[in-house]
Amino acid sequence: MEAAVRVDRLEKTLGPNKVLRGISLEARSGEIFGLLGPNGAGKTTTLRVICTLLGPDAGSVDVLGFDTRTQPEEVRRRVGVVTAEIGVYPRLSARENIAYFAELSGILDGEVSRRVDTVIERLDMGSFAKQRAESLSSGQKQKVAIARAIVHDPPVLMFDEPTSNLDVLASREIRDFMVESKGRGKCVIFSTHVLHDAERLCDRVTIIHEGRVVAGGPTAEVRGRYQDLEDAFLSLVEAAR
Amino acid sequence: MKAGAIVFRKEMREILRDRRTLIAIGLAALATPLVLFVISQVSTRTVAQAYTVGYTGTMPAGLDVLFNATGLNLKLVDDPAEAAKQQVDIGIVFSDKGLDEYYDPTRQSAQIADIRLQAILSKYDAAKVAASLQAKGVDPSVLNPLPVSVHPLSSPAQAAGNSFLSFFLPYILITMSLTGGLSAALDTSAGERERKTLESLLLTPAPRGNILIGKILAVSVISLVAAIAAITSMLIALSQISFGVSQGEPAHIGLSPLAAGVMIWLAVLLAASFASLTIALGTLARNFRQGQAYATPLYFITIFPASIVLFIPDFNPSLAYYLIPILNAVLVLRDVIVHGTVAWTALAVTTLSLVVTGAVCFYAALRLFTREALLVRS
Repeated sequence: MEAAVRVDRLEKTLGPNKVLRGISLEARSGEIFGLLGPNGAGKTTTLRVICTLLGPDAGSVDVLGFDTRTQPEEVRRRVGVVTAEIGVYPRLSARENIAYFAELSGILDGEVSRRVDTVIERLDMGSFAKQRAESLSSGQKQKVAIARAIVHDPPVLMFDEPTSNLDVLASREIRDFMVESKGRGKCVIFSTHVLHDAERLCDRVTIIHEGRVVAGGPTAEVRGRYQDLEDAFLSLVEAAR
Repeated sequence: MKAGAIVFRKEMREILRDRRTLIAIGLAALATPLVLFVISQVSTRTVAQAYTVGYTGTMPAGLDVLFNATGLNLKLVDDPAEAAKQQVDIGIVFSDKGLDEYYDPTRQSAQIADIRLQAILSKYDAAKVAASLQAKGVDPSVLNPLPVSVHPLSSPAQAAGNSFLSFFLPYILITMSLTGGLSAALDTSAGERERKTLESLLLTPAPRGNILIGKILAVSVISLVAAIAAITSMLIALSQISFGVSQGEPAHIGLSPLAAGVMIWLAVLLAASFASLTIALGTLARNFRQGQAYATPLYFITIFPASIVLFIPDFNPSLAYYLIPILNAVLVLRDVIVHGTVAWTALAVTTLSLVVTGAVCFYAALRLFTREALLVRS
């Protein structure tokens, strides 16, 4: 299957730290791809380069055939990102928050309202859509963050530690949403250090440590002879030191 | 530019729902007339207020009438020098040699009473001399060999009003152009970062320059509204306050249509420049509070040029001075208020200077807004 996201020998230095040291990976449409690693491994930086927030120092990234360096706006049209930091505009309603991002994503004026209604219904947000965001719970805000990331219906969805600030119920909803998106043919990239989630959800994983890929492939293959992914992960990270 | 319009609409909606900004604008509009009312009440009371003169000795005949007519109440005291320290406003000792006056210059009431006393004594001396000369058959006009007739080219009351306005109007215009939109500027820059919404915003395909233009436009509009609201309320208040008498009628301060037009034009330029500058500073900051700390020095920068008109009222600079941002706006406004005409060359230089300043501030804000460090620094 053709890769939706292709990262090739990516390098990135932030301040005095060389964060990425030649990362390569491929994520495909219709799968959940796990980007795993301990804190500080370079997962978030990798995602930020993929979605064009940061530029690569060396190597290349393309998303559905668009180079992040030369066609960043085309890449951003095709990517939706959900992070653990669920910042929303507090004085706008949930609906207004979503509509703002829909408009900025280039959705035609006549289409905005319909698209916003669709995501509100899909994420079951009708009960609080008109409330100001400052009065919403963390779980509700996370739904707003997801809604604004998917309102332009991007073919690539990236989740960066999306459940780290959420309770059990809200986390469950996020996981269900990722599975549903995969079923819709989206390329879902899931960055996490919660290996239990990754093992349950991901079709393929790449484990990175200190800016380098230490293992990659189908989840079962990476787990190999170990009892679970966590044992495999610890063993691989230890070997890489 | 569609993205700029979308951002502008959203920012305006947020600003209009932000109590901090609305309260700041409302307070400025209310505070200005209140301050002017207090100033006018104090000055009116000062003019009408009577002061006490403590005296000892025998007062020359007729002098007491002049004292009473000038708002100086006479009071017999044992020691005028001691009494002038606190008990009365000035102390006088009448003796054969003449008059000794005691007053404390650190007391404002003593200063005013002294001025009134000098005026009385001048009149009294002139009247006594004239009476003596007449008694000896000499025309008293010999004491005034060069009679002077004064013909003011404009109403002195109006001149005093214009002088007042030439300081206050630029001061309020500049201060409100800066502070009226400051909260909104920091909220849309440092606040965006603090709320963790910046990353999501920059993930949209909208060009960052257009996003920034939308933000600057929104802040400029709020600054402009704040400045015009404060000035309008000031002018309304001034129209109710009398600044002396001109041609038998109470003199009020008003702004000519020409001055109003120039003021609005300068307000637009200042608001756009300040919006770019404060957003640039806010983009440097990690949170709202840090943004406020960065913006604090701007208050001094704005107050200083307006003060020049107060302390050097006859400051007549060369054209080069009109290249200095903010000071040029103060000078142009002063010229149009005091003289009632616009020096078009000075206005053109001022416009060019403020447009260039705004462009430089916009460029700086854009550079800061598009650098990776904006997202990497937490």
